[in-house]
Amino acid sequence: MSAMQRMSSESASTGSLYTSCLPVRGDSASLPSQELFPAGLRVLVVDDDITCLKILEYMLQKCQYRVTTCSEALTALSLLREKKDGFDLVISDVHMPDMDGFKLLELVGLEMDLPVIMMSADGRTSAVMRGIKHGACYYLIKPVRIEELKNIWQHFFRKKWNGSKDLEHSGSFEDSDRQKRVADKAEYESSVNEGTDGSWKTQRKKRDFKDDEDDDEHENEDPSASKKPRVVWSVELHQQFVNAVNQLGIDKAVPKRILELMNVPGLTRENVASHLQKFRLYLKRISGMNQHQSGLPNSFCNPMEANSKVGSLIRLDFHSLAAAGQIPPQTLAALHAELLGQPSGNLLLPRIESPVILQASNQNSKILPAEDEVAFGQPLFKCQSGTSKRFSSSGIDAQDMPSSFSSWPSNQFGFMGSNNDLGGLNNTNNSLLMQMLQQPQQHQQEPFNLVTPDSHIAINVQPSCLIVPSQLPNSLSGGNCSIAINHNSQPSSNIQIGSNSVLTTSKSTLNPSDIAFDYSILSSQSTNAPLGMAQVSDGDFKNTGLLSNYSIPVSVPSSVSTSSVCTSGAAGWRLLNSNMNIASLNRLPGHLPNLSGSLVNHDMVRNNRFVGKGTWLPSRFSVHGIESATTNWNSMKTSVDDVDKVKQEFSMDFLDGSKVEKTKLPNFPSNDFMGVLSK
Amino acid sequence: MEYAGLRRQAAYTRKALFDQGYLDEQFYQLEDLQDDVTPNFVEEVVTLFFKDSSRLLSSIMQDLEKSSPDFQKLDAHMHQFKGSISSIGALKVKNECTLLGEYCSNKNLDGCIKAIHKVKREHAILKQKLEAYFQLLRQIGPAEGATRPVE
Repeated sequence: MSAMQRMSSESASTGSLYTSCLPVRGDSASLPSQELFPAGLRVLVVDDDITCLKILEYMLQKCQYRVTTCSEALTALSLLREKKDGFDLVISDVHMPDMDGFKLLELVGLEMDLPVIMMSADGRTSAVMRGIKHGACYYLIKPVRIEELKNIWQHFFRKKWNGSKDLEHSGSFEDSDRQKRVADKAEYESSVNEGTDGSWKTQRKKRDFKDDEDDDEHENEDPSASKKPRVVWSVELHQQFVNAVNQLGIDKAVPKRILELMNVPGLTRENVASHLQKFRLYLKRISGMNQHQSGLPNSFCNPMEANSKVGSLIRLDFHSLAAAGQIPPQTLAALHAELLGQPSGNLLLPRIESPVILQASNQNSKILPAEDEVAFGQPLFKCQSGTSKRFSSSGIDAQDMPSSFSSWPSNQFGFMGSNNDLGGLNNTNNSLLMQMLQQPQQHQQEPFNLVTPDSHIAINVQPSCLIVPSQLPNSLSGGNCSIAINHNSQPSSNIQIGSNSVLTTSKSTLNPSDIAFDYSILSSQSTNAPLGMAQVSDGDFKNTGLLSNYSIPVSVPSSVSTSSVCTSGAAGWRLLNSNMNIASLNRLPGHLPNLSGSLVNHDMVRNNRFVGKGTWLPSRFSVHGIESATTNWNSMKTSVDDVDKVKQEFSMDFLDGSKVEKTKLPNFPSNDFMGVLSK
Repeated sequence: MEYAGLRRQAAYTRKALFDQGYLDEQFYQLEDLQDDVTPNFVEEVVTLFFKDSSRLLSSIMQDLEKSSPDFQKLDAHMHQFKGSISSIGALKVKNECTLLGEYCSNKNLDGCIKAIHKVKREHAILKQKLEAYFQLLRQIGPAEGATRPVE
């Protein structure tokens, strides 16, 4: 073996293509032997740097792979085309003189559907993300170590495995496709569906699939045909999509036009079509649910158990709110965008809710009729005082938030806030922690700045609750939105958000626009994946004080990571969070000033405004009591710039549970809070 | 005797290269790849590197000499260069290259020029040191059957 290797190496000329073959298998066309797998994996390495090429070649040989090297992208491409099934994996450098590595990546993915690993000395997050967005299954940072190469077979295997799994089921593409879609949809709608009744969900899924299949017929081709790399609908991409849809008008939005408007290289009409489909269903569901009100009465009372659905964020079921129909499709779309933010179906916030929230605010006070509880996140809340009625339909399902939250690498949670008048916040129940934003106000997409609340907006929020700014400043913008929760004009709305941020808090009332909530990112490392950054483009929320939902991606590595909360101008925002680990919260740099102390401004409570504490405690957010405790909340990420600043946004005091709130909420009926808090 | 002395000297030189920060752990990786089958792997790679990197360095210099330098292109070249450097474990050169990268992203032309000169200098120093080291190894080499690498 070694002799042969040597020979082949020596015969190769630098920079040219040569193949080193393991003597054991002379058949270059054969697939890797199963018994020896991953040995024998056929790897093509493309890099114009001959030093790296040589090193990689040797390293790969050490890993017992069958290596072919190539210093030119065009040569590599022709080689791949010649031997259609000749390689299992491609490793390519990013910067090459004759062709951009990403271009090669796309072509390989499209034509040959091989797993491609990118490589570069450029290890910046943005570069890595770019690679992944272009479809690379992995991105290696130079210098590459042999240990990393030892694992690359996983990428090949995963693709094969998924492909064969699909084929197994029923053998028909449709089926496998359906399954995939199921999974997709599951992710996509997880939060939304969470609280609703299962059968409905199932039905929906079925319907979705059917629709999908109808629409994307051409995708139902032979699965072995080159499958395009999955499009990851990142926040930005989705935002672009939403913008395009808004521009065209929801009725006139056809995939072709949307695709043109979006102008994203590599995106196909099919991708857009299926995404549009999902989007439409989402909108339908939202409006359809308006009447639903049946709400999830129990949702609030769910015991907190982490259900772990990563995706299940607290769902604030503002269906009814949304149903009010006051939200124009665009808004819904925007909200939807917000909700959707998620890159890979991760925790995305509740897709739904934003519209609901928006609506709610309109109603100002009675939106949530007596819903006292807004359950956010964790089902901690106890159905307090029976308010489980959540604001009229705004059922917030705190689903799984709790523990599952922690499982998310980056947690995002959307903050759902309902407008302060969330139904019944009538004060006694502080159930509405969230204060629905009063007015939707103009919020344009300015980033919300979650400012550390020096300015405390006193939000009468129960610790675990979500903060609902009565008014969302315009700043909602896609991506990282910092939610500025300004204290709005209502007297009761004092949102005091810990030290974090709260931009301007006018104590008197919470104006949605005033509320600046700055959620800092707890741990910087969240590479921001703003999951679910919901961008709400606002605007029409007229008086909705709805909260836009934003998901705050929270990465919860031991430190809380930032979550971005994007809210659109809508007045209200909802914080959805899914599991915020209290523990992690605790770790937050303490800035969140003790929200606990400031939390409750009873004014808010009085008005039944939702008081949100600066921190959104996802997990339990119940109007009645802000469940602080277990909610875990991980970082809310405020605007990117504020990251540092805001790191500490939330005082996780409340996370601790409870303590805070108890004392602080005088206005609230103590029992409620206590109950909640003590959780 | 002499052989043992040479070996000691080689070992000492090698250690100094690491201690003084000229080389980092990536170099160990290269050494690990060397075995009976490829007894001169490290030297081969290093030689290849110096050949190739001179080319890259001069293209970077050209980028900087332009009246209005294209920083994007420079950035790409810089990353390519850095990839090479880091793959062989040339630590000092890599650090200077990182600085160059920073100046480049700040579009600071003067900084870039200064940095590239430093890179060049470190590059030359390392080249010298490694050549001396390999020469030592070659002297010891024959006893182990190593031959001069065929270029």
